[in-house]
Amino acid sequence: MRLSPLIRTCFRSSKAQLLRTFLLIFGIALGVAGVVAIDIAKISVSKSFELSTAALTKRATHQITGADFTVPQSLFVRLRTHLGLHKTAPVIAREVLVPELDGRTLTLMGIDPFSESHFRDIRFRTGTNGISQDSGDPRTVMTRGDGVILSGSLAASGELGVDSALTLTFGGREVTTRIGALLAGGDKNPAFDGVILADIALAQEILGMGNRISRIDLVLDSDAETARVRELLPPGLTLTKTEDRNQTIRSLSRSFETSLTAFSMLVLFMGIFLIYNTVSFSVARRRGLNGTLRALGATRQEIFLSVQAEVLVYALAGSALGVGLGILLGTGAVRAVIATVSDMYYTLTVSRTHITFAILLKGVLVGILAAVGSSLMPAVNAANTRPVTLMQRSASESRLSVYLPGLTTGGVLAIAAALIIFNWPGASVNLVFAGVFLIFTGGSFLTPALVALITRGADAATVKFSGRHRLMPAMAMRNVRRSLSRTSVLIASLMVVVSVYIGIDTMTRSFRLSIVHWVDGHIGGDVHVASLDDLNRSLDKTLLDKILAMPDVRAVSAYNIHRAFSEASGEVHIFSYLRDLSKKEWTWRSPGVKRDGDVDRLLEDGWIIVSEIFARQNGLMPESQDASGGLFVAMDTLRGPETFRVAGIFRDFFMGGGRVVVSRETMKTFWGHDDITAMQIFVHGEADAKKSAVQRVMGKIRGIDRNDNAPDETPGSALLKIRSGLDIKQSILAAFDKTFLITSALQVLTAIVALTGIINSVMALILERARELGILRACGALPSQVRTLVLWECAVSGFLAGLLALPLGAFLSWVLVHVVNFRSFGWTYDMHLSGATMIQAVAFSGTAALLAGIAPAFRAGRVDIVKALRTE
Amino acid sequence: MDICIAGLDKTFDNRDRVIFKDLTATFRTGKTSVLLGKSGVGKSSLLNLVAGIDTPDRGRIQIGDTVVSDMDDAGRTLFRRRHIGFVFQSFNLIPVLTVLENVGLVGQLDGRPDRDIKEKAAFLLETVGLADRLLDFPDRLSGGEQQRVALARALINDPEIILADEPTGNLDGKTGTAVLELITDQAKRLHKTLVMVTHSPDALAWADEVFTVENYALVPGNGI
Repeated sequence: MRLSPLIRTCFRSSKAQLLRTFLLIFGIALGVAGVVAIDIAKISVSKSFELSTAALTKRATHQITGADFTVPQSLFVRLRTHLGLHKTAPVIAREVLVPELDGRTLTLMGIDPFSESHFRDIRFRTGTNGISQDSGDPRTVMTRGDGVILSGSLAASGELGVDSALTLTFGGREVTTRIGALLAGGDKNPAFDGVILADIALAQEILGMGNRISRIDLVLDSDAETARVRELLPPGLTLTKTEDRNQTIRSLSRSFETSLTAFSMLVLFMGIFLIYNTVSFSVARRRGLNGTLRALGATRQEIFLSVQAEVLVYALAGSALGVGLGILLGTGAVRAVIATVSDMYYTLTVSRTHITFAILLKGVLVGILAAVGSSLMPAVNAANTRPVTLMQRSASESRLSVYLPGLTTGGVLAIAAALIIFNWPGASVNLVFAGVFLIFTGGSFLTPALVALITRGADAATVKFSGRHRLMPAMAMRNVRRSLSRTSVLIASLMVVVSVYIGIDTMTRSFRLSIVHWVDGHIGGDVHVASLDDLNRSLDKTLLDKILAMPDVRAVSAYNIHRAFSEASGEVHIFSYLRDLSKKEWTWRSPGVKRDGDVDRLLEDGWIIVSEIFARQNGLMPESQDASGGLFVAMDTLRGPETFRVAGIFRDFFMGGGRVVVSRETMKTFWGHDDITAMQIFVHGEADAKKSAVQRVMGKIRGIDRNDNAPDETPGSALLKIRSGLDIKQSILAAFDKTFLITSALQVLTAIVALTGIINSVMALILERARELGILRACGALPSQVRTLVLWECAVSGFLAGLLALPLGAFLSWVLVHVVNFRSFGWTYDMHLSGATMIQAVAFSGTAALLAGIAPAFRAGRVDIVKALRTE
Repeated sequence: MDICIAGLDKTFDNRDRVIFKDLTATFRTGKTSVLLGKSGVGKSSLLNLVAGIDTPDRGRIQIGDTVVSDMDDAGRTLFRRRHIGFVFQSFNLIPVLTVLENVGLVGQLDGRPDRDIKEKAAFLLETVGLADRLLDFPDRLSGGEQQRVALARALINDPEIILADEPTGNLDGKTGTAVLELITDQAKRLHKTLVMVTHSPDALAWADEVFTVENYALVPGNGI
């Protein structure tokens, strides 16, 4: 027998059931779309990090920076004149907000065009034929310093052109400048899509930096050159390798990549299960047809190949559709993730959707491999079974009962293997993901046995409640058990989806609770005061006394915060307190340190306390203590590298290189600061009285600020950023919620995946049970009674899936909280498994199944009795 | 209850295949009528039309005072449930229900009191000789036993009409004869109108009336 008539027969059969064929293709498409979308987000975010830093550092091997983040411009001249170093470039870089470009944050970059040739690829040409008339001449603009330059595409996005006014907002100030010229944007200068270029003098004028610059970039070819530069540096300036400087950004990029990889894996798991569900049902529905073909003389190989050929065609169609859908979803995901990163952690000035051939190929391959792989077992079964049994559905159930012990043993072994992986001390993230996959697989293998056990138990327990009210649920439960070869696939798929829902929900909820706890403990003040200008962070020294004198004020926690550089973790925030009223949550304390009072004493003795992220990035693990039980870390100071002893590690959700708390004396000695940069004010009263007190205190501080900063009195003094604690808490939580927008999107995706999977499966089941439904109708069951039965079956399947998803979801939550998040961001937080989430998950599962069952139930109610009774 | 059929037309396949053309017949109360005919002439279709499982293209089917052919689907379903017992060739028991539950199914669908249903089902199963198999599932029964359960199910609502579509078609000769005897005996004893489609010549022995389906109509006699 030739293969083509078999394939033709299969396709004709599909054509007759267009809706189910569409659901099969859509199921594959959805799985592929999820994988493609997350991969696009992952690559795009990674590229955005790369491009956002590429514009700023490019080929520089080293950088000179200052402890206060400025460097005197004269140093640049000395490097050239004293040391003869010509591969040097002065740079000013500062983030500014541009209202004309929808409030986008861009980097204002001041450069010396004559020093740039060794560093950045700024192509001062527009188009391909030189300078276009309406773009201005960037080179002339740069040398004359009459205006800023931005990329053509960036300007076009805000309908701006040469001579347009551009408002730059930063540190409470607002400066208006003009666009002098446009750079060729797009592919020619992708890194400059997020940059406003200016001559260094103009940038100094705009930012009010006088004769200071942000840093000096250098290309140093030898250790000798490096040593000579170091000798020349005055105290407070540091020479660092560019790659070390970018450490924080790289680590942040890696954090998001790991986190998105985790989501990508979850989507992949769900996709594979959905595809398996749809394909296996699709192949199973051909059982009778394949039986007839075998009886007519088709060989096993021919049946196998015809099944695979058909699935391959649908896999290709589904993958193509999925790739398109994935690109759409991915574009949205990129926007969400980049907005999150920029809002919370690091301003990504370049944001583009990167769609690579590799991503699309991976999506198509996932679709094809999952579909063809899923059809493998049903196809082998179809090919290997005797024609007479192939025509009977009961054969599938008999086969399952034969495989059940093996399947159950396999499930137990898979879960055991996963547990070994999770307890393996050095298990890589990829190995952990493999463990998650094993858990899902193990859970799925155990599903048939568990479903049989639970339904049998429920049946036995309710047997005494006979009567018409029990009829439908009892029939539904028994039908689920009787069609175990089909229903267990449906339940396992739904179980995976629901467990992903539980995992994500628990992770988000636990994280949110920890953030709330952290905000309450760390940012517990009722009013917060800081400088608006990050180039001039010092607050007026008399402000503390003025605030303490206010009758509403109960206490003030005053601190100074400065940025420093650590080779291991990049940029670090160093704190010292005049009085610390925050409540820290310790993840480790040095032996003998029992109370916060002990910590204060040790700080006075020169010890430091560090945040969890800093500890992790610097390898400060409790197990790495020396013989005396101490942890030590080296940090750059004004006196050069110094080693500090660590008194404790506290939980902190601040990103970047982490935080270090030192005493005021240590701060003054090693970093030269003894000012106050921020205050947390605690007011008297409770509830409404407290609210009024907060408003009064804020009003009074604003009054002080206005008086102290009157132009004729103290020009240049800092303007104050005054916010209520409640406002800060709300904005942190709002930013947090925004961060988890992508996880919410993932939850929506899980719902769609669940619905699609169940609709497909229930419809297949209904089709297979047409005869039974016909009998019921012939015996006098009304269409509504048949519908009720089908809906009961859906509800039972959904409920069972929800129930089985609970342990799996709890496990996934543990992996997301303790492995993925820790590996991604270095954060630890307590897992809060909420009863509400569990109930919600079971309700979600049952409701999804019920909703998905509505259309099939109506179809079942309309069953053609005569035709159904003729069906075998 | 008499079953009166008048001017019945029925076609299949978009009216391409004619099954009945102006068919007229009466099946009288308390009588056993046997329908004979070649495969595909429409014997089972006629039972389906009488049971309200299918609808005619034209014509009138009246059972007692009720014109079944004028009723909508819900009306026909309820009528079938309360007045007609159907015995199929393939038994058509619900595999997930026990023997007792299968018999009680129609009563439960009709919302009758549970105790009544249980008692009646047990009684009927005792009558057909299956009192010791109440809690077994259908797959544990032989073909003959399954058909006896199907007969008990057909009688649960005490219907006036019993329709039997080749009830012995899936049984061996001896078992088939026993089942035939049981069905006809029950119908006569309970004064039911029994219309039975069969290929079995044995059935003629119990028949009060014999009809043959041929040339799209029903003619009296066994067509010989």
